[in-house]
Amino acid sequence: MPALRAEKICKSFKRLFQEKKVLFDISLSIERGEIFGILGPNGAGKTTLMSIFSTLIRPDGGSLEVLGRDALRDTHAIRERINISSGNPNFPWSLTVRENLQHSAMLYGLSGRSLQRSVEEAISAFELGPQSDAKFETLSTGQKQRVSLAKSILNRPEILFLDEPTSGLDPEMAMKTRDLIKKIYQEEEITVVLTTHYMPEAEELCDRIAFLREGRLVALGTPGELKRALQIGHRIFVEYDGEVDPMKLRIIPGVMEVKELSGRVEMVFDHSGRAVSSIIKAFEGADILDIGIEEPDLEDVFLELAR
Amino acid sequence: MSWQGELHKVLSATYKNWIISKRNAFTLFELVFWPFIGLLSIGLLTRFLELGDDMVAFVLVGAIALSILQISQIDVAYILLFDLWSKSIKQTFVAPVRGYHLVLGAMLFGVIRGVAVFIVLAAASSHLFGFDFLAGGVATVIIFLAGTFLTAASIGMVVCISILLFGQRADVAAWTLSGIMMLVSGVYYPVSILPGPLQILSKSIPLTYLLEYYRSAYGYGDHQILLGIALALLYFVASLLILNLAIERARSTGMMLRLSE
Ligand SMILES: Nc1ncnc2c1ncn2[C@@H]1O[C@H](COP(=O)(O)OP(=O)(O)OP(=O)(O)O)[C@@H](O)[C@H]1O
Ligand SMILES: [Mg+2]
Repeated sequence: MPALRAEKICKSFKRLFQEKKVLFDISLSIERGEIFGILGPNGAGKTTLMSIFSTLIRPDGGSLEVLGRDALRDTHAIRERINISSGNPNFPWSLTVRENLQHSAMLYGLSGRSLQRSVEEAISAFELGPQSDAKFETLSTGQKQRVSLAKSILNRPEILFLDEPTSGLDPEMAMKTRDLIKKIYQEEEITVVLTTHYMPEAEELCDRIAFLREGRLVALGTPGELKRALQIGHRIFVEYDGEVDPMKLRIIPGVMEVKELSGRVEMVFDHSGRAVSSIIKAFEGADILDIGIEEPDLEDVFLELAR
Repeated sequence: MSWQGELHKVLSATYKNWIISKRNAFTLFELVFWPFIGLLSIGLLTRFLELGDDMVAFVLVGAIALSILQISQIDVAYILLFDLWSKSIKQTFVAPVRGYHLVLGAMLFGVIRGVAVFIVLAAASSHLFGFDFLAGGVATVIIFLAGTFLTAASIGMVVCISILLFGQRADVAAWTLSGIMMLVSGVYYPVSILPGPLQILSKSIPLTYLLEYYRSAYGYGDHQILLGIALALLYFVASLLILNLAIERARSTGMMLRLSE
C-alpha cells in the first residue's frame, strides 16, 4: 500500500468573479518510506498540492488516498497520523516557543508525560533550547522555521509534509536540518514529502521527484531518470593556449552546444558516446591548460523543465 | 482516540486563551475596569434619576448581563481571531481537532472569565447600590449565567463563521449583529416599549428571556425561561453545525490558506 495515491487531483481558486485553475489532473503515488520531492517554479502549485495532500484544503475533483484511507472522507483519522511544516511559518505571537509547542501537542491530543517528552525532544532536535522561553514574535526567520519543524514531529507522524523546510536557514542549520530529515526518515521509517527551491537539497534528499509547471505534472522520476529522460548533456570546459578551429568542435558527433570565450571553450555533449577523446583530439595544435567535466545536475533539469 | 486525548484537544483552546490573556496587559481592563466603570456610571445614573430599588435592580441586571456577554463572547471568537492576527490558522486546522473541541475549550475559559466578572460586578453593585443579586436564589443566578454563556458562545461562533466565509474583516458584520441583538433584547428597558416589528425580533433572542427571568425575581412579572434556554441551546447547536460547515467550506475555497498569509 502506498503512503499516498492521488488520482486526477484538480483545484481552482475563485476570487471575486474570476476563477483561476491552479492544478490540472495531478496523478501520482508516493511509496512508504520514500523521500519525495515536489519541484517547480514559483506559482507552479506546489504549496497548493501539499495543502491538498495534508488535507488542509480540499481538491475540486479527483481522488486521494493517504495511508490507505480516503482523504476526502476520513480526514480526521489521517490528520492524527501526518504533520506539516511550511515555509514562512506563523504561530501565535505572544506564546513562547515552549508554549506554542505545548499548545500544538495538545491539538494532537497529547497529554501529561508523553506531551512533555515530545515537546522536549522536539526542542532539542531543532536546538531551540536557548529560545524555548522566548516569545514567538521575537524570533529570527530561521528560528521560526525551526519551531515549525519542531512542531511537525510532535505527533510522530507517518507522513511528514515539508514545504520549503530550509528556506531562511543559515547554511549550517540547513545542513543540520537535512541531516535530521534523513535521520528521522531512517529511524522512524517516515515518509517525507518536501518542496524546495534549492536543487542540491532535492538531489541529496529525494528518492523521486515530481516536477510541476503551471499546475501540471510535467515529469516524475528519480533524479537520474529525469536527467536521462531529458537527455541533458555533460559539460566540459577546456582552457588552452594556441589556435583551435571552433568549427571542428561543432561537428564532433555527440556535441550539442559550443560556447567560445577567449582561451576557453565550454561545451555540452552526450556522455554516452565517444565524444571526449574526439574533443581532446581537436585541441592537438594547442596546449591544454585546464580541463574539467561536470555531470548535469538537477539545476539543469529544473531549467530545462521550467522552460 | 482516548478520552484524555479528546479532553486535551478541548483544553488546547483553553490553554491558548489563558496564556494570551495572561500576557495581555489589557486583560485586567477587560475583566475589571471597563465592566466596573460601566456598572458605576449606570448605577450613578439611577441615583440621579432617583429610581426606586426595583428600577435600580432592573437596570443593573441589564448592565451586568451585558458585561458578561461581552467578555465571554470574545473568548469564543478568539478561537479564530488570535490565529487570524498571527496568521497561524493553518497550524490549527491541519491538526485533528473539530469545531466543538475549539468551541468548548474557549468557552470554558470564557465561562471562567464571565463568572469572575459576575462576582466583581455583583459584589460592587451590592456594596455601592444595595443591589441584592441573590434575590431569586442561587439557582436563578446559575440558570441566568448558563443561558448567557450559551448565547455568548453562539455570537462568538458567528464571528468565526463570518471570517471563514468572507475573510479577514468580516467579523465587523458579526459584531454589528451582536449590537443589534442587544438593542432589541431590552438590556436597559422592557421590550414592550420597542416598536412592534422589533418586539417580534426580540422574541427570537434568548437574552430577552434571560433578562426577563432574572428580573422576575425583582417583581417584574412573568418569564418564559424554558423557552429562553431552549432557544439558547438551539442557537448554540445550530452555530456549532454551521461552524463546522464553514470550516469545510474554507477548505474548499482556499480561504484557509489565504487567512494564513
Ligand atoms: N488560497 C488561495 N487563493 C487564491 N489563489 C491562490 C491561493 N493559494 C494559491 N493561489 C494561487 O495558486 C497558484 C499556485 O500557488 P502555490 O502557492 O501553490 O505555488 P507554489 O508552487 O507553492 O509557489 P512558490 O514556489 O512561490 O511557493 C498561484 O498563482 C497563487 O497565486
Ligand atoms: Mg509554495
